[in-house]
Amino acid sequence: MNKKELLTIAENWFTQQGWKPFPFQKKTWDAYLKGKNGLLNAPTGSGKTYALWVPIVLEYLKQNPNYKTKPQKGLKAIWITPLRALSVEIAQAATRFAEETNSGLTVGIRTGDTSQKERAAQKKSMPDLLITTPESLHLLLSSKNYPKLFKNLNAIVVDEWHELLGSKRGVQTELALSRLKTVSKNLKIWGISATIGNLPQAQEVLLGAEGEALQNSTLIKANIQKQIEVKSIIPESMEKFPWRGHLGLHLLDEIIPILNNSKTTLIFTNTRSQCELWFQKLMNKYPEFAGEVAMHHGSINKETRLWVEQAIRNESLKAVICTSSLDLGVDFAPVETIIQIGGPKGVARFLQRAGRSGHQPGKASRIYFLPTHAMELIEAAALQKAVEKKAVEDRIPYLQSFDVLVQYLTTLAVSDGFYPNEIYPEIKSTFCFQGLTEDEWRWCLNFITKGSQSLQTYDEYKKVEIEDDGKFKVNHRGVAMRHRLQIGTIVSDAMLTVKYIKGGYIGTVEEWFISKLKPGDVFMFAGRNLELSRIKGMQVLVRKSKKKTAKVPSWMGGRMTFSAQMSELLREELYEAAESLSVTSSLSSSLKTSSVEKSPELTALQPILERQQLESIIPKQDEFLIETFKTREGYHAIFYPFEGRFVHEALGSLLAYRISLLSPISFSIAFNDYGFELLSDQEIDMQQVLDNNLFSAEFLMDDLYKSLNATEMARRKFRDIAVVAGLVFTGYPNKLIKSKHLQSSSQLLFDVFRDYEDDNLLFQQAFRETFEHQLEEGRLRLALERIHQQKIVWKSCQKPTPFSFPIITDRLREKLSSEKLEDRIQRMLKQLEK
Amino acid sequence: MKIEIENNHFQLSSSGVAYWEEQKTLLIADVHLGKISHFRKYGSAVPKDAILSNFNKLTESIKIYSPKKIIFLGDLFHSAKNLEWNLFENWLAIQTAEVVLIAGNHDIISPLHYEALKVKIYQELQLGKFKLTHHPEEQENTFNICGHIHPGYRLAGMAKQHLKLKCFFKSKYQLILPAFGEFTGVFLMKPEAEDQIFVCASSKVIQVM
Repeated sequence: MNKKELLTIAENWFTQQGWKPFPFQKKTWDAYLKGKNGLLNAPTGSGKTYALWVPIVLEYLKQNPNYKTKPQKGLKAIWITPLRALSVEIAQAATRFAEETNSGLTVGIRTGDTSQKERAAQKKSMPDLLITTPESLHLLLSSKNYPKLFKNLNAIVVDEWHELLGSKRGVQTELALSRLKTVSKNLKIWGISATIGNLPQAQEVLLGAEGEALQNSTLIKANIQKQIEVKSIIPESMEKFPWRGHLGLHLLDEIIPILNNSKTTLIFTNTRSQCELWFQKLMNKYPEFAGEVAMHHGSINKETRLWVEQAIRNESLKAVICTSSLDLGVDFAPVETIIQIGGPKGVARFLQRAGRSGHQPGKASRIYFLPTHAMELIEAAALQKAVEKKAVEDRIPYLQSFDVLVQYLTTLAVSDGFYPNEIYPEIKSTFCFQGLTEDEWRWCLNFITKGSQSLQTYDEYKKVEIEDDGKFKVNHRGVAMRHRLQIGTIVSDAMLTVKYIKGGYIGTVEEWFISKLKPGDVFMFAGRNLELSRIKGMQVLVRKSKKKTAKVPSWMGGRMTFSAQMSELLREELYEAAESLSVTSSLSSSLKTSSVEKSPELTALQPILERQQLESIIPKQDEFLIETFKTREGYHAIFYPFEGRFVHEALGSLLAYRISLLSPISFSIAFNDYGFELLSDQEIDMQQVLDNNLFSAEFLMDDLYKSLNATEMARRKFRDIAVVAGLVFTGYPNKLIKSKHLQSSSQLLFDVFRDYEDDNLLFQQAFRETFEHQLEEGRLRLALERIHQQKIVWKSCQKPTPFSFPIITDRLREKLSSEKLEDRIQRMLKQLEK
Repeated sequence: MKIEIENNHFQLSSSGVAYWEEQKTLLIADVHLGKISHFRKYGSAVPKDAILSNFNKLTESIKIYSPKKIIFLGDLFHSAKNLEWNLFENWLAIQTAEVVLIAGNHDIISPLHYEALKVKIYQELQLGKFKLTHHPEEQENTFNICGHIHPGYRLAGMAKQHLKLKCFFKSKYQLILPAFGEFTGVFLMKPEAEDQIFVCASSKVIQVM
């Protein structure tokens, strides 16, 4: 069959469905059939699955003209997806085309949910298309004789690549691809990504730095323009608007008309506990919605989630309160409206959520933003501008992730073993490890074989052995088994399953939450009030409770930060507010209306802005605001760079460290997206801070490194690294090894490394990752430069100001101290006596 | 820091040991030797150099008090015999004091091995009014000195400050020693009004309750 005949098969099939292929689909078919690799930039629900699955099938038909009589067995394509939940949908779409074109190709799924039996069956006879996750793919690489499995692989498609890219799962994917490029001779690699700021880089990371694969590749953009309407939910009166808080429940009544006016509404919350609370409160106050409103988050059992998803498609639900669990994949046509509760913290995420509505062609996506506290109104205004400008963030790929590399090398040693000379060039060809030196490579090999860099006699370290012919191999069965259980880069708390005593699985909950409850305590979960009966192994047994009040599990989840783009828009919005306020106050009231045109958000915020102005100032573009005041808690100093949470975390530690050099002092540091607080039991000599130019960018890296040593940031990063690199074993499935044990032992490990082996690459990685992914060194420098240009305005205030409120009430804190331990203890004792 | 119990005197040291003056005896709890080697044997590459630190710390403490007798209050070894045992043997060879072990839950190494090194093993030891055990025991008319718990204390101050420190925990009839071992965690204690807490700071012990 020639190419034209093949394409006719596809186009006929599209016609049969009553569809017409999009230009981007045709472009992708063409590029794939030309043997190219590439990255496809297309949003969810645009038909991206058929853009790539179609040419994979066509290629097979071409290679096997007798496909109807003599089907070729074995794996031909792999589809990698970040979420197990998406695999079913992809499988359905793929099966439909494969069957209706009589290709004879089969589709299978292999994820953490796949049963042992099915896995074994797959091993014997692989489906033609395997849909899997990065972790499950690595597990395949850890099985004996894996090269045979992948010998006839034609294609790998990495779906939602933007999701994987900015995480270590991206590195895992890069490493697997580097191996498969060698093992599978005719391999084409394709990624599918939503719009992000750095698409060309995403393509490079996927295909490898400067390699052949990258040269023979293309970037295809779907260019589907979608109109997005953004509206803020603003209360009639600002009096009840809280200065802090993150739930937004005070605006519950305001969303009812929105729900009533829309077929189906998705209500996005930022955390699972917020999701639970919103559901509960909505049900209590508006019982008429019972049966029409559902909840969807990652801890609820799979059956319920699937039921909810299906109910959305059937139009049998009025609203679903959800978390990021509904961010990806899954196409819901009936959804007309989106409500975002609280700041989404990123433009890309906000756009993605907006895009979940108005799926019919030509329809606009409609999203409402519900601010949870007054300051978020500024964020709302900034978001609207961001959507107009389509200021989408970059996803920063990881570099030199030695923890993932060490895990991968052990994976290869567990299966067939490896020869370093064969693997080294493959690893060097990845984007992540393009800068890997021979010394670092040798270090990794030593680490997995000797557990250190020098050999001493009394050591019994056992992991990878070097055989006589130089092959690196794991021969110990226990080591191999433990390693297979640990493959992956997502480190989570131990999860317990929640079940009724009489049976019936409800969902999963983090162990640390349950550990705080006693039998008889009532907690809210999956929209129900449940009484804890007892904990049995890895199961939490509960019964229904009629009690009204209940604890809400506050699932831990990374707090997100503003992107650089968002921060800039936020500052602009704020400067505008400052300008408008000074305009209105300087003009007579009769002129007010004709002055600067203000957004509804800023108009609503007026009373709070006025109060801020009264007690302190609203900084203008050329001003940097510092506020100090004293409360019962101690002496507060608040700094407002408006640079996003992560930059503030870095600046806070940096400044605390530098002040602590002036005289012995202890700090508690808090930060949000607007600024940061240094809290101490001693008054900070602010004049000295200013006189000593402590915001200088000089010695920045050195000071930051030292401040990191003094705080917990690197220590927390190290926890994940220790697990990924196999330094800490997280336990056998269903055997409860308390995650507290993991925590403390990785904490202890950090200390041991710091004291005895601080040149260890994994230990150093914790600091590097903090710099690159948490503190965003580049942004930090820019921020310091900006502050340097600004005039510092230090306001000594009588009491907490509106701007300071959300920061000083934040409970998540860092600490830093330059006092002697003995002195700190003595002073705490004195304070207790008072 | 020196404390008096039943007319006997104990010096508490920030390293976590207690020196019993009347008996010229050094009390040490929960050293957990062999823990690092144990981790390494299971494929977790904990820095090897840390192994020596426990022995160095022991030697330092002994130098300060020159005791006649050293009593380990259990969990001397973390796990089965591994090569750290050889280091222990070497360390024992240069000790002049008598060495006694009260067996703890982690002490699964056969007593025969200890006996071969002239280390006496007991389940518990009564010395006058004092009963030495590994697990805490409450009993009238006797004062219990023990380990096992790895006691720690959380001290809170103004400006959201807090510290988590190893401590000696004393109640009416009991003194619990902190864990001596380097690579061990702590369990936070919730003292009652009559209990006493002595926290280990970097170079001294401070009573906080």
